[in-house]
Amino acid sequence: MTTRFEPVVTRAGADGSRALTEVDPITTEIVRHGLNSAANQMKQALIRTAFSPIIYEVLDFAVAIYDDDVRLLAQAPSLPIFMGTMSFCVEAAVAAVGGRERLEPGDIILYNDPYGSGSHPQDAALIMPVFLDENLVGYTAIKAHWLDIGAKDPYATDTVDVFQEGVIFPGVKLYSRGQRVDDVYRTVLANSRMPAAVEGDIRAEITGVRTGGEALLRLIRRYGLVDFKQAVEHMFDHAEATVRRYFEEIPDGQYRGFGMMDDNGVEPDPVPFEVVLEVKGSTVQIDYSNAPGQQRGPINCPLPSTVSASRVAISMLAGAGEAPNEGHMRPVEIKTRPGTLFHPLPPAPCFLCGWPTIQAIEVIYHAISQALPHAVTACSGGDICGLTLYGVRKDTGEPWTDGSPHPVGQGGHIYGDGGTMMHVSESATRFPATEVWESKNPIIMEKVELAQDSCGAGEHRGGLGIDFFFHALDDFFITAAVERTKTAPWGLLGGAEGRPNAAAVRYPNGERTFIGKATRLPVPKGATLEYYTGGGGGYGEPAEREEAAIRKDLREGYLSESYVRQHFPQLKLEEGS
Amino acid sequence: MATRIGVDIGGTFTDLVVYDDQSGQVNVAKVATTAEHPEQGVVEAVREAVPKTFLERSSYFLHGTTVGLNALLERRGAKVGLLATRGFRDVLEIRRGDRAEMYNLFWQPPEPLVPRHLRIPITERMSFRGEVYRAFEPEEVRRAAEVFNREGVSSVAVAFLHAYANPTHELLAERTLREGGFEGDISLSHRISGEYHEYERASTTVIDAFVRGRMIRYLGHLAEELLTMGFRGNLLITRSGSGAMTFAEARERPFETIMSGPVAGAEGAAVLARQLGLAGVITADVGGTSFDTCLVEDGRPHMTYQGEIVGLPVQSAWVDVRSIGAGGGSIAFVDTGGLLRVGPRSAGADPGPACYGRGGSEATVTDAAFYLGMLGSGVFASGTRLDAAKAQSVLGPLAEQLDLDVRDTAVGILRIVAANMANAIREITVERGIDPREMHLVAFGGAGPMMSTLLARELEMKSVVIPPFAGNFSAVGLLTSDLVQSVSRTRITTLSDESLVEVNHLLAELFDELETRQAKGGDEEVGKQKDVRLDMRFLGQEYTLTVGVESEGGAITASAQGVHDAFLRSYQRTFGSTLEEGVEIVSVRASLTTPLPTLELLHVHTETADSGTSMVKSYSFTRERELDFAVVARDTLQVGTVLDGPAIITEMTTTTYLDAGFRARVHPSGAIFVEPLRTMEA
Repeated sequence: MTTRFEPVVTRAGADGSRALTEVDPITTEIVRHGLNSAANQMKQALIRTAFSPIIYEVLDFAVAIYDDDVRLLAQAPSLPIFMGTMSFCVEAAVAAVGGRERLEPGDIILYNDPYGSGSHPQDAALIMPVFLDENLVGYTAIKAHWLDIGAKDPYATDTVDVFQEGVIFPGVKLYSRGQRVDDVYRTVLANSRMPAAVEGDIRAEITGVRTGGEALLRLIRRYGLVDFKQAVEHMFDHAEATVRRYFEEIPDGQYRGFGMMDDNGVEPDPVPFEVVLEVKGSTVQIDYSNAPGQQRGPINCPLPSTVSASRVAISMLAGAGEAPNEGHMRPVEIKTRPGTLFHPLPPAPCFLCGWPTIQAIEVIYHAISQALPHAVTACSGGDICGLTLYGVRKDTGEPWTDGSPHPVGQGGHIYGDGGTMMHVSESATRFPATEVWESKNPIIMEKVELAQDSCGAGEHRGGLGIDFFFHALDDFFITAAVERTKTAPWGLLGGAEGRPNAAAVRYPNGERTFIGKATRLPVPKGATLEYYTGGGGGYGEPAEREEAAIRKDLREGYLSESYVRQHFPQLKLEEGS
Repeated sequence: MATRIGVDIGGTFTDLVVYDDQSGQVNVAKVATTAEHPEQGVVEAVREAVPKTFLERSSYFLHGTTVGLNALLERRGAKVGLLATRGFRDVLEIRRGDRAEMYNLFWQPPEPLVPRHLRIPITERMSFRGEVYRAFEPEEVRRAAEVFNREGVSSVAVAFLHAYANPTHELLAERTLREGGFEGDISLSHRISGEYHEYERASTTVIDAFVRGRMIRYLGHLAEELLTMGFRGNLLITRSGSGAMTFAEARERPFETIMSGPVAGAEGAAVLARQLGLAGVITADVGGTSFDTCLVEDGRPHMTYQGEIVGLPVQSAWVDVRSIGAGGGSIAFVDTGGLLRVGPRSAGADPGPACYGRGGSEATVTDAAFYLGMLGSGVFASGTRLDAAKAQSVLGPLAEQLDLDVRDTAVGILRIVAANMANAIREITVERGIDPREMHLVAFGGAGPMMSTLLARELEMKSVVIPPFAGNFSAVGLLTSDLVQSVSRTRITTLSDESLVEVNHLLAELFDELETRQAKGGDEEVGKQKDVRLDMRFLGQEYTLTVGVESEGGAITASAQGVHDAFLRSYQRTFGSTLEEGVEIVSVRASLTTPLPTLELLHVHTETADSGTSMVKSYSFTRERELDFAVVARDTLQVGTVLDGPAIITEMTTTTYLDAGFRARVHPSGAIFVEPLRTMEA
């Protein structure tokens, strides 16, 4: 980069509160519940009709409802990391078709440009304007992961520009006045290796946005547009107040967190970065402007994705456990510098943009831990340890693909030991049942087991990582996207580090090759793919851990004797016991 | 023949309902639940309310119990050991990796029912096709038996991968445990569930092992006591998956009784729907702490095939009753942001709502309703007398915080709780592609009839039905049960005429299994009905739809084309469109129903008491102001009586709030039909 851009600051709901009338706390509460229920109805409609497990099991989607100014009204629990990206996507889609005056009832826009959607092109969004008697009153939107939309490989970690990452639909009407635009529809299907699955999932998304539209209209009709809008303003103000109160407790100041990407996917060097949190009164600014320049490989994180990571991290802490809306995001400013890792410019590759967002969340917690260590957990395994498998069926010659993220150990925290589950960026996601996975793929799972000693020690230890062994019954390819293999999960307040993630292929001849990011790697029949997901960091001094807890860890085999001798010398073990 | 006794144990009260075949009379009694020894409460209730001669000529004792559920809630059950496929001992702890509270960074999953040192890996492995991939190692099981005996394990669950496809290794494990000297209970996963998803099946198997001992002892004591008292009829217990099973079978399959409580109400509503000819019904069962709702279509409650209790999955047929924390005891509060919230915390029965005068100090839904006049004078036939001053004293501070007057605060509490309930109903209907406006609301439970017109208005429903004995309707529902047994098996195969032949072979096996189970129960074989359902999906999908298919004598008679069409119709109705893919059968479900003699539940007994009507001031939600409500005792209402709201109808255990703009009509069955008078709406 020769040009150095000035940093830009992104805020939500820019013009702040617009509440006009006296507060009616009752209607506000009813409307708030009604909107969340409407979003849940969208989610159910999508899950029940989706074709691909990546949608109905992995929940790799977001559903959201916006008002006519594209402010978030409600979002159903799904993939948190998509949470903050959807408003960008709606705005970009509407702009692309000529602005709101060009929208008509029955329109549905297809949008998957990574630089507006904050995701790779497979995460394709459908956006439906919602009209009440010809007046635009809001939008329903779903972004869901399609199995394939024509990237260089079904999943890729080594792209060098965005054009290798899939076919881009930069905001085109898939439905116009309720009629399907067949030219666009056929173009979509013609560009997928898995057209039947994509067709099924498009239909599910359509059912979802329409279900949400009906639910939104029902709510507006019930209370009238004027009262509805006022209730919404109060709902935003209420959420904003909740988050502001949280930040008022944090002393004003600058808090720095540090993170590192293992590599950028095409070059071997680690990519370190820094995030600065500046708390001022009830406002927090998350500053990414010191990030390294945009990368040659696909770990670049487009602005919407960076904003999303920030919003997820903050919502988990300050949102009082509630479903987020626009108001929660008002106190959060995000500062980025165009041309950098966290604000790349097209056509930089960004297929793996989800991975830096995961690291960014941990780094934000790292920064907050300096002010309020009890408010966060120690570092988790810090990744979703993604795996995609693909090949060609020998009997039919048809291409197949499947994939999943994997759980990691969570960091210890003030309330107790860390558990073992998905990274918070995908907190509602499930990984597939072995019995289902084996019925569809040429695999025998040898092991899905907690890994002894993989956690960081502490007064409250981290959660254990898991060993997953996939034994190949036939030849296939994989794309592995495993991060944080070079940096161990940090402990907090004296807690120790957990084990970092690792992945390897053990070939039939016994040789073992470790991998991190790998694309189209052949796994021959008889080989075993080994995923060792990371353990959580510990919280508090290990010397403070209660003896009963250590004894339990030993009895249950979570920890070995040698680990206990090393980290918890306070427990006197009999020699040779 | 059909004289029967129903006893439903709830969290607070044990309800008893007796139906006398000779007089056609239904009698109801309530005693306090004895949590420590629930069978004593049951025996007490029977002793108090049922004369010996009546007991001796009763044919059926039908029971709904929370014993199994409480064992889980309180974690008081057997010390359980688990044998798992090597490499998979942690399936209970790893679960599926998801976080139940997705915005809670500190969320922890429930502790597994079996600690890790009692989860012992065994070398063995089946493939999904049921082929042996790795041989079974008996020596490891023998050593495990030693560990279990040494550790005092009383119940062992065996859950091997793909055991649904080939149970040989589980059966070998059972035999080897016995050879190794293990004498406790053994639960094998393939007997518990024939379906895939190892975490869910293992969880169900472990729950079975956990509650088994306690359940066997409980049922044994109860049977013995009833026998001593002179009862000679059939002992039945309700299943989570609808219908009832014999005590003998419940001892074999205790996990099937876990959710018998809320199911009875849904089943009663289903019988009511059949008798009244209502095609589409939604239940609103409102108790002290929860609102339970279920869809009943064509006289059958909707089923699901996986339930969940305290965060643990149960892979079993399950009447699809959804609960939210909203009931008469739900507590209202103002949150830190200044919004009024209601529930899910509840004042329960103790101390209960403030107006009960038993020390409750927080405002509940009942306090708000009573303050508004919705419960009439607050003097109930049961002897309870509500305290208006106490209701006002707890609502006052909330009103101040909200800067509203007390009445608006109370109205707000009712509006919020009604909207929450309506949202729950919308979610269960939308999921199924059903429009609630086409449905009838059957309202029961202590607070259901009070909420009924608010809900009907919120959801624009066709009508509300208040069944007879609405306050005890869950217990009444017990009396209407049929004997049901069901079994399922995962067998993934593309739908074709050839594969249906295979499916019919499997069905013959499954029905054989059910007949064997029933033989153990020792029941007469009268008028058995065999039903077949298939879980199907389009090729490549994961989620399935369960579709009933034409069958005779337990074999499918429909052609592949016929089954395909039935699937498409069901898919179209649920999702609004279909795909052009092939169709795949995933699981096969067989159920065997032995109907009990039909019960004319709705035979009403009208005793015209003093028909004096009083008036009370109450708030009207349709008119948004206070009106004069007539207070009418339900048992003074003759069949055919038409009563226009505003009115309040009182009966022994519940109160119906009939808002202005609604008309009630007493059906010959004794049920009260309530319909909105649309023309009168402002």
